[in-house]
Amino acid sequence: MNQFIYDIAVWFDDTAWSTAIHESYYLYNWIESTHVLTLMLSLGILFLIDMRMLGWALPNVPATRLAERLNTPMLIGFVVMFVTGFLLLYAVPVRSSQSLWFRIKMVLLVVCAVNAYLFHKRMTQSIQTWEHEPRAPSALRRGAAISLAFWTVIVICGRFIAYDWYDCEYAQPDLVRAIAGCVDGQTRF
Amino acid sequence: MSPTTNPNTEHAPSFGSYPRTSIAVISLALLLAFSFSSLRGDTWVGLLSFFEWMETTWFGYVGKTWGGAFALIQAAHLVSLGVLGGAVLFSDGRLLGLFSSLPIRDVVDGAHRVFVWALAVVVGTGVFMVCGVAVKVYYLPVFWYKMLTLAVGVLFALFIRKPLVDREISEVNPKIVKLVAVASIMIWFTVAATGRWIGFS
Repeated sequence: MNQFIYDIAVWFDDTAWSTAIHESYYLYNWIESTHVLTLMLSLGILFLIDMRMLGWALPNVPATRLAERLNTPMLIGFVVMFVTGFLLLYAVPVRSSQSLWFRIKMVLLVVCAVNAYLFHKRMTQSIQTWEHEPRAPSALRRGAAISLAFWTVIVICGRFIAYDWYDCEYAQPDLVRAIAGCVDGQTRF
Repeated sequence: MSPTTNPNTEHAPSFGSYPRTSIAVISLALLLAFSFSSLRGDTWVGLLSFFEWMETTWFGYVGKTWGGAFALIQAAHLVSLGVLGGAVLFSDGRLLGLFSSLPIRDVVDGAHRVFVWALAVVVGTGVFMVCGVAVKVYYLPVFWYKMLTLAVGVLFALFIRKPLVDREISEVNPKIVKLVAVASIMIWFTVAATGRWIGFS
């Protein structure tokens, strides 16, 4: 599996567009800035919904109506984040795909997606009972707390990707090499 | 815009709208005058010792020697910036007529509380980050642009936007409300963008 991911990354790395983005100071920085600034639209709005469910913010705003209305701008934000995130991966494919933090981030993204699906399902099933309560029922509060915690860790992992502490280029413990997917004898980093 | 506050509103500001707005306008004018005077250069030179001192503080020591702590604080800065931006977009979006089924007063007041908390964390984590690289950022023009836009943002949010939305919003000229909402989004976007650009400098 790690060899397969490495081969795909090397293939990306050999494409002209990948090199063009990576070597363009302005284009790469614009993409990265868009990725970070879209946090305000995606994560910011998601956290508002989560905090409303936990009773920490906007207690007088009807909870499910808030979640429904903010769903579209939040999803637009996440689409922009995924597109720019893919472009950042595409621009630096080998190092990114073998980053310990990137891999943890991807796993947590899947967990958050499942959590969001379950949260939405539970919310639509129980709308009438608590719409105007300052706090959501415990199952939804749990989902909101998981969302807050995991998305915070995702941002931390995203930030840590920039650091080379656990890069395959350097000698690493076996556990780190296994999680990061370092390939024996690899020539591209 | 009526100079009198609606007596029916439950959110009448304790401090009159016009004095607060006047303070903000005078502060912005002074800021502008300062920017174009020779005083700016003298102040900048005088601030160097302060920035050198920042690097010698505990924050500066941790920021310089422990990369993990610096990165964690950066992440907290980003998360709080995201929440601040979310509160701004939600509240200003409502003022612009989006999410119209949500009660405007509850949205604006609730989002403002989130905004203030997020701003406090943004500033707190920002101070920590500056301490780690104080002398470096001292010489970066974009850092000063960021400080300038942050000052404008805080003045605008607390002394222009807040007094306006504390009124009965339906009684305020809708064009002014929309203008303030657009200005608010643009200001905070600029604060975030200049902050991001510090990392590239």
